[in-house]
Amino acid sequence: MKTKYVPAVLTLLFFVGFVFFVLNETAQAEEAMPEVTLTLPENEKHIEYLGIKGSPGETFSITDIDTDILLIELFSMYCPYCQAEAPLINEFYELASVQEKEQGIRIKVIGLGASNTQFEVDHFRDTYDVPFPLFPDKDLSMYKKFGGEGTPGFIGSLYKQGEKPVIVLRQSGGFQTAEGFLALLLQRAGYQ
Amino acid sequence: MKKIFCVLVAIVLFAGPGCAEEPLSKMYSTIYDPGKLKPIDSELRVKVGDPAPDFALTSVAGDVVRLSDYKGRTNVVLSFIPAAWTPVCSGQWPGYNIARTEFEKNNAILLGISVDNIPTLYAWTEQMGELWFPVLSDFFPHGAVAQKYGVLRSDGTAERALIYINKKGIISAIHVSDINIRPPLEDIFQELQKFSES
Repeated sequence: MKTKYVPAVLTLLFFVGFVFFVLNETAQAEEAMPEVTLTLPENEKHIEYLGIKGSPGETFSITDIDTDILLIELFSMYCPYCQAEAPLINEFYELASVQEKEQGIRIKVIGLGASNTQFEVDHFRDTYDVPFPLFPDKDLSMYKKFGGEGTPGFIGSLYKQGEKPVIVLRQSGGFQTAEGFLALLLQRAGYQ
Repeated sequence: MKKIFCVLVAIVLFAGPGCAEEPLSKMYSTIYDPGKLKPIDSELRVKVGDPAPDFALTSVAGDVVRLSDYKGRTNVVLSFIPAAWTPVCSGQWPGYNIARTEFEKNNAILLGISVDNIPTLYAWTEQMGELWFPVLSDFFPHGAVAQKYGVLRSDGTAERALIYINKKGIISAIHVSDINIRPPLEDIFQELQKFSES
């Protein structure tokens, strides 16, 4: 090989490596949703929202939620950043509802209260008028299963009929705008 | 060779990630984790039914807060926390910050007390948002108020303790928690409601 081709070959190898890196990252983002059992909330509207048949207090698998995309918020009542972020997530919920009416893609939102009791989760919900279901995760078992890295954090999962849901988005920390985050989630789920 | 190279470059450039990740929060980067500590490392010097020892401490806002100023007017909850910039403490007062209504409903004020100095407490509490209750520095003489109540640990930090004082200035309840664990909010609400019941 002539020496004049060496820079070109090195550049080529760099780009090929970059392509493999990107493909690998994409593959990692599509990990299977962990098995998590939740308890149906007291609020009948929330049970209807989740699309689960059952009564308050009965358990269900997170993979049984009837949706196209599920956004899980990892939060804590005690986290000042989660408190500050609460209105923005409510806004995201409203935007997702509008989006469903316009485009038909169902995006459901739930929150897991890391290290919070039911009482603390309820207090957070009442303080910020959170419209979507919140579940306590006192022993952090769900937070650990989802590989949480601080609060707030977000896990976006794609639900396809007949398939196990896969995680398509992980975000540690808040987001800047509800519109931008919705677009990112839809893009990651392959809808845009 | 040249053609193949150009095609590969074009593929890579146009098939890259389409959208950059939103910025990550740095919220936990400044919190020091001391690991698991001895749950309780002090002996109480007060008990339920005792008159609460008076004190005067400077708040982060710069004013001097005297416990006896509240006597006859309002119930008081003292929240001693071990130290600023540590994991459980960093989440405790922000939680109380959204419980103001419950305190007010039961005619109670919360006084946060830490053995840290004012600049440290200022920097630490700034990230919690605007706190509605005074944060007091028990820094010099170091931990003197914590010592008076018997909640100063052997390493100079304080216990994670809640001391409830009624309008008459009498201690109505004392909860010294395992330093590694945050006391649940419902316990505080229950104790606050007792102020109204009595």
